[in-house]
Amino acid sequence: MNLDDALHTFIIEAGELLEEMEAALLRIEQTPDDADTINAIFRAAHTIKGSAGLFGFDHVVSFTHVAESVLDKVRNGLIPISSELVALFLGVGDHLARLIAGAADKAEPDEDVQQAGDELAARLGVYLDPPSPAGGQIGGQVGGQMTVTAEPQAQLDKEGGNGVDAHGVDSDNWHLSLRFGPDVLRNGMDPMSFIRYLGTFGKIVEIVTLADKVPALSELDPEASYLGFEIAFRTEADKATIEGAFEFVRDDALVRILPPHSLISEYQRLIGELPQEELRLGEILVRCGTLTPNELNAALDRQADHPDGPAPPLGEVLVDQKVVQPRVVEAALDKQKQVKESKSAESGLIRVNADNLDEHINLIGELIIASAGASLIAQQTENPVLLEAVARLSRLVEEVRDSALKLRMVQIGATFKRFQRVVRDVSAELGKDIRLEISGGETDLDKTVVEKIGDPLTHLVRNSMDHGIEAAEVRLARGKPAHGTVRLNAFHDSGSIVIEVVDDGGGLPRERILAKAIERGLIKPEQHLSDQEIYQLIFMAGFSTVEQVSNLSGRGVGMDVVRRNITALRGTVDIDSVEGVGTTMRIRLPLTLAIIDGFLVGVNAASFVVPLDMVVECLELSAQQTADSHGRDHLNLRGEVLPFIRLKQLFDVPEPPTPVEVEADDAQGGGDPLPRYGLSTAILTAEGAAALGSDPELAFLLHPVQRENVVVVQYAGRRAGLVVDALMGEFQTVIRPLGEVFNGLDGISGFTILGTGNVALILDVPGLVRRVVRQPNRHGSSSPATVSS
Amino acid sequence: MAKTIMIVDDSASLRQVVSISLKGAGYDVVEACDGKDALRKLDGRKLHLIISDVNMPNMDGISFVKAAKQLAAYKFTPVIMLTTEAGDAMKQQGQAAGAKAWVVKPFQPAQMLNAVSKLVLP
Amino acid sequence: MTHLEISGELTIFTAAELRQQLLEALGAGLDVEVDLSRVGEIDSAGLQLMLAAKQEAAGRKRALHFTGHSAAVCDALELCKLFGQLGDPVLVHSPS
Repeated sequence: MNLDDALHTFIIEAGELLEEMEAALLRIEQTPDDADTINAIFRAAHTIKGSAGLFGFDHVVSFTHVAESVLDKVRNGLIPISSELVALFLGVGDHLARLIAGAADKAEPDEDVQQAGDELAARLGVYLDPPSPAGGQIGGQVGGQMTVTAEPQAQLDKEGGNGVDAHGVDSDNWHLSLRFGPDVLRNGMDPMSFIRYLGTFGKIVEIVTLADKVPALSELDPEASYLGFEIAFRTEADKATIEGAFEFVRDDALVRILPPHSLISEYQRLIGELPQEELRLGEILVRCGTLTPNELNAALDRQADHPDGPAPPLGEVLVDQKVVQPRVVEAALDKQKQVKESKSAESGLIRVNADNLDEHINLIGELIIASAGASLIAQQTENPVLLEAVARLSRLVEEVRDSALKLRMVQIGATFKRFQRVVRDVSAELGKDIRLEISGGETDLDKTVVEKIGDPLTHLVRNSMDHGIEAAEVRLARGKPAHGTVRLNAFHDSGSIVIEVVDDGGGLPRERILAKAIERGLIKPEQHLSDQEIYQLIFMAGFSTVEQVSNLSGRGVGMDVVRRNITALRGTVDIDSVEGVGTTMRIRLPLTLAIIDGFLVGVNAASFVVPLDMVVECLELSAQQTADSHGRDHLNLRGEVLPFIRLKQLFDVPEPPTPVEVEADDAQGGGDPLPRYGLSTAILTAEGAAALGSDPELAFLLHPVQRENVVVVQYAGRRAGLVVDALMGEFQTVIRPLGEVFNGLDGISGFTILGTGNVALILDVPGLVRRVVRQPNRHGSSSPATVSS
Repeated sequence: MAKTIMIVDDSASLRQVVSISLKGAGYDVVEACDGKDALRKLDGRKLHLIISDVNMPNMDGISFVKAAKQLAAYKFTPVIMLTTEAGDAMKQQGQAAGAKAWVVKPFQPAQMLNAVSKLVLP
Repeated sequence: MTHLEISGELTIFTAAELRQQLLEALGAGLDVEVDLSRVGEIDSAGLQLMLAAKQEAAGRKRALHFTGHSAAVCDALELCKLFGQLGDPVLVHSPS
């Protein structure tokens, strides 16, 4: 832990606070009297200011200070909430985000930012009357009043007259006279601690502890303070520093500080203020070396001349200074108790570095692989005890995996809340009155997914607002409320998370989409498409139905990007729409990206993994079919053209010399114990294999595969075939990202490690499908792939 | 034996910086993120000082100090409250709850260390 | 002679209880010896308690001695220059 870590924490924390502030600002317009919401806004500014000060970000502090001052007035009901004020503070939040981003880079704000800040500060200043000083308060202690005699010498000279007064006493020491009130100890303050503190910046030359007031044990209140001190103190520090030592007891103690060479009259006054100790104190001052006996006599003489009324006893002063009406205090405390426990869950949370978490998940991935390896070996031994132990281990590993993956889960609510701002801004831009409703915010999903879903979701929301929600007059004519509603909803559905963007707008115009798609040549007029298929057309590149292009949704650019982004997350998007009633865009995403169900295939000695949810079917590629394709890479799949690609050629997988030798190699080297059979022996019991072997119909399954197989995959409605040697079955796949060197490697999206310790590459099915579907056009031999349902 | 100080603030970065500077000076530090969390951590361990923010979610600093002062083990533990300039009314409530020492936010680590040394030296 | 040992804190947190123990010790009517060798922490309340115990003993015409002053006790007595006032012989600890 060092300051850089703390700075990192600050940046994250400030980001969260600004988000909370924004959410609260957006809420406050609906509920302007909600004290909690106002307090949340105030607290965000307050906390940022406090932390920024610690890091010495003075410009952040001074800017926040102005904002905080205004918020304090809002909190106290002196300034009403208005939409201008909300807008101003939204701007303040944005500016703070910029300042903090700059501070994170340790950069001074540039001129533009500075100017923007000045403008905001000026607008804030309008609310402050009289204007509050911006900044300059960093670390400033409240200048309180201290019972310290420190009148300027000049004033004291005027009182002079006696010859001794003309010059100060001889001593070079400060003289401190301390009387602690009875409650000091009870308040947690130990008088000795202040004396020890004095020792940190000076030397205690002499100290006399006044214990006269300490009674006998039977009379003693053990928790009351009775002690006083007279101290001769030598220091280079100034008076303010010495006073500062006692700032925490300024209400509970009488502190007299006399500078070196103070006038006799000062000491006389000191003695006069503590008349009951008169004689003794005089002696003490002499003992401390503060006064010489002559100086003391002079002081006492003058005291006798001027019997000023004695200062009130300390106790009385304390009572006077502590006048507090208990009832008022209690009422205030009760009110604070009612503060809603908005973050009650948070105190049970631990903030963990995301990298550490990823590292943990990676290790669990290793564990899964190691465990799979152990099972494999255990199966070969056929030792039932070992098998049972390994099976139990596997179950536990799975549980560990599930719980580890849960750690990465975050609620989608925070992402949803950000849309309050988007909707507010976009409504203003469009001149439409649109409200956002949020539900299902507590739904969990993988952190990586959350990070990546923001952009596509923004696009969908903007699209709904721009194209979906009708103008107010149209809405009224249709018997709908004038204000439109966009709803964000999330829920879990069988291993997936579903995110819905629902609007109560005009719905998708089926016929216009169809007409446009035909006009653009995206489909043929004679094609019969289901509603779903028609709606999917809006996700195709270059599609737009709105003639009047607004700068928000651009020219239909984006919806195709939306779908691509979602597909990259192995998700899908579909649409329900009723014309005149509204549209629901439904994104379906896998819960996590780290582990998938894979389908393992073999090409010569290499293994590849196809994400199982993209596999449609598997079939055998007969020699006849290969011949029928006339050297072109298509085959006839039940009357449809299926383009295919040979992984062997694509990845240039080396041909093994002969199958026999491969097996011999395996046996010796233990390289790949999974022989290239039609079925993996791993999923067959010994009896099962024996049964297969004795059945002439099924025996081929146990023979090395001579033929090729086609794995039919589907992505974005397009199908393609991947030609492989062997199908090796389902396999739980821990996805590892490729290193930088292999990034962008065509057709590969990652790798995984098999139970045997061998590496299998994970195929980038979307990339491969795009490649395969493009190829036929190059040959000029095929129409674009059909849109399939 | 190092003296132990508890820092209660909802800002993790503030806690970290204060904690770093206190540890650097030779104190042990216990952190808590709000009054409730802090109360939970008042489990009988010896604390020589409590530093607490006022404005916190769940349980504010004043309620926390008031509750802490009800516990025998912390009845007389000194408390430094962290406040803003605008906190005079707050201060009175704090005084009544038993917090007599105040440090104004924002402060720099050295200022906090200085304030702490007045009450407890490491 | 009544023996009493104070261990741990001699502070505001323990002052009330220790006062009671000291009173009981003095109540036995004998001289009292208080062993401070295991005092780990002392504050002004502790010092006051020592001063008050001395007075109480004097009032009862009994002797009360503090012995085995621990480093923490010596440190506090040195800071406040109270050795003389308490008057017990102290084995001076070498500074640690």
